[in-house]
Amino acid sequence: MPKQIAIYGKGGIGKSSTASNVAAACTDEGYRVTIIGCDPKSDSSITLLQGRRIPTIMDLMREDVDIKEEDIVFIGYKGVKCVEIGGPEPGIGCAGRGIIVAISMLKKLSSAIEDTDLVIYDVPGDIVCGGFVAPVKKGLVNETYVLTSGEYMPLYAANNICKGLARLDVALNGVICNSRDAQNEEIIVSEFAKEIGSQLLAFIPKDVLVQTCERDGFSVIEKAPDSEIAGVYRKLARSIMEKRVGKIPEPLDDKRLRELTRI
Amino acid sequence: MPVKKEKEPLIMHPRPSSIVAALYTLRDLDTDVVILHGPPGCSFKHARLLEEDGMRVVTTSLDETGFVFGGKDALVEVLQKVIERFKPKRIGIVGTCASMIIGEELHEAVIEVQPDVPVIEVEVHAGYRDNTQGVIIALESALACGIISETEFERQKALLKEATMVEKRHGAASKEYLEPNRGDLKYKVAGRLLELIKQGKKGINILNAKKETAFMFADINLAVAEIAQKLGFGSNIINMVNLDINVGLPKNRRNAREIKDDLSQKGFEFHHIIGGLDEYPIAGNTASQIIGEKYSDYDFAVIAGVPHALPMDNIKNMELFSITNGPRQVVPLKEMGHTYVVVEIDLHPKTLGVSHIVESEFGATLREMAKDA
Repeated sequence: MPKQIAIYGKGGIGKSSTASNVAAACTDEGYRVTIIGCDPKSDSSITLLQGRRIPTIMDLMREDVDIKEEDIVFIGYKGVKCVEIGGPEPGIGCAGRGIIVAISMLKKLSSAIEDTDLVIYDVPGDIVCGGFVAPVKKGLVNETYVLTSGEYMPLYAANNICKGLARLDVALNGVICNSRDAQNEEIIVSEFAKEIGSQLLAFIPKDVLVQTCERDGFSVIEKAPDSEIAGVYRKLARSIMEKRVGKIPEPLDDKRLRELTRI
Repeated sequence: MPVKKEKEPLIMHPRPSSIVAALYTLRDLDTDVVILHGPPGCSFKHARLLEEDGMRVVTTSLDETGFVFGGKDALVEVLQKVIERFKPKRIGIVGTCASMIIGEELHEAVIEVQPDVPVIEVEVHAGYRDNTQGVIIALESALACGIISETEFERQKALLKEATMVEKRHGAASKEYLEPNRGDLKYKVAGRLLELIKQGKKGINILNAKKETAFMFADINLAVAEIAQKLGFGSNIINMVNLDINVGLPKNRRNAREIKDDLSQKGFEFHHIIGGLDEYPIAGNTASQIIGEKYSDYDFAVIAGVPHALPMDNIKNMELFSITNGPRQVVPLKEMGHTYVVVEIDLHPKTLGVSHIVESEFGATLREMAKDA
């Protein structure tokens, strides 16, 4: 049974960066990894494919072709299997429905989510409709993580996501802090994690190297493997691959959340 | 490189709904109550008609609030009420476009309520070109519940695939737009048929009908056989019917038996059984083969039900009298080479909730005109 994880968090907080770097780090450790991008922006796998954008499941569905596994699974950095669900452009259609449909098809078509050690579902920013929890509801995810910084808004979003997870009776396996250089960030996020019944799994310091590599279409693991930040991702990757116990999160009320950010 | 399928042509006229197909499939599986999880108006007409066939259909009545906030609570409530009120032995829950788009998990409500009886959950919407998808999805759920066997499931899938092909080749899915057509005037067609019988011409009398529609189509074959007998030419008519009582879902077998009994009582002879009531997509091939072997020199054929499922090869030189219940089927049948095409308008509702043969317009016309023959 592969480890199947989903990473949730406010839009723009760094889920895709984290997911792709963790995927690359795990691959370096010898694990077989599959990453599934569930965002219509289709940007989860770019840095694992040297900047290449791959055909998405929804694009192929639209063209009405007979879809086979090799049409949607692409091999990236050191063998990472990459899949992008795709979806509509902004302002039209229903991205959530796209995720539901594509996940269904993936289940039927692909062994990439079974014959592997780690599957990472990189989901869109906020869980805004039923479709966005499709990977969890359809039984494809057994561990969830929430990514946040120490600022109020991303924490509010993280807390909101926990409400969704709690409603679905889904366990949270850890909180990851992606630093924005806010004051007392590590303490704040650590405290938040504890109070919702989880733990701070990793503190990722802000490092411009991540952005520089991304711009060129690379993960730091590939482009700057000996950098300090690469080391942080490797450590996080190892933490995730350990046996991890999850717990259904207990979301905080807004008052407590504001108090926390004033620490 | 993905293999491009041939692009499916545009069809502008509306096609039968997969949601409705799922409902009828649940009926065929003797489901007592079905809950439509969706807007109150979805599938209204058929939901109403199915009550005539003994299956209750209720709805969770999702509205804008339901679309936006989700409908799980509504489904839980209706499921509980259904169990209380109807004490069903088998329950169905069917999705709709609205509930499926917003990602409603039908199973969640079932887990919460924990009914003591099997619940067949069908996650279907109407967004499929071929309504046979609705049947397949319903049967997949039935298979998962252990209500049908793997063998029966595979058999049904094969039949449905063929049914879809029949519609694409010569049916209502064969053209971009098909205008409804009333067909030929029944009294003129009946007149010609009677003429042929009186002249001592030899004819094949075929019933190839889809499930319960056979309750009315069989009346036509009965009329033809009875009249030929009355006029002294009974031995010129060969009867071929898709009334095999040993195949099909429970309701199909039951109906086949009921129709056969009615026909037997009137002295109808069963020269050839070409298949079951759900085998109409392939029974035509069997009929065609038999005709090729034994009756290729016959003069005319009466084909009631799904005439376009019969290959033309062995009948193209005969005078064909075809009876359909689809006004959109007339033009394709004429183009295939069927000489006369007659439409039994609005047949389906008249064959719901019945267990005996129902009089057809064409049958009634034949009988009336035969009185003066």
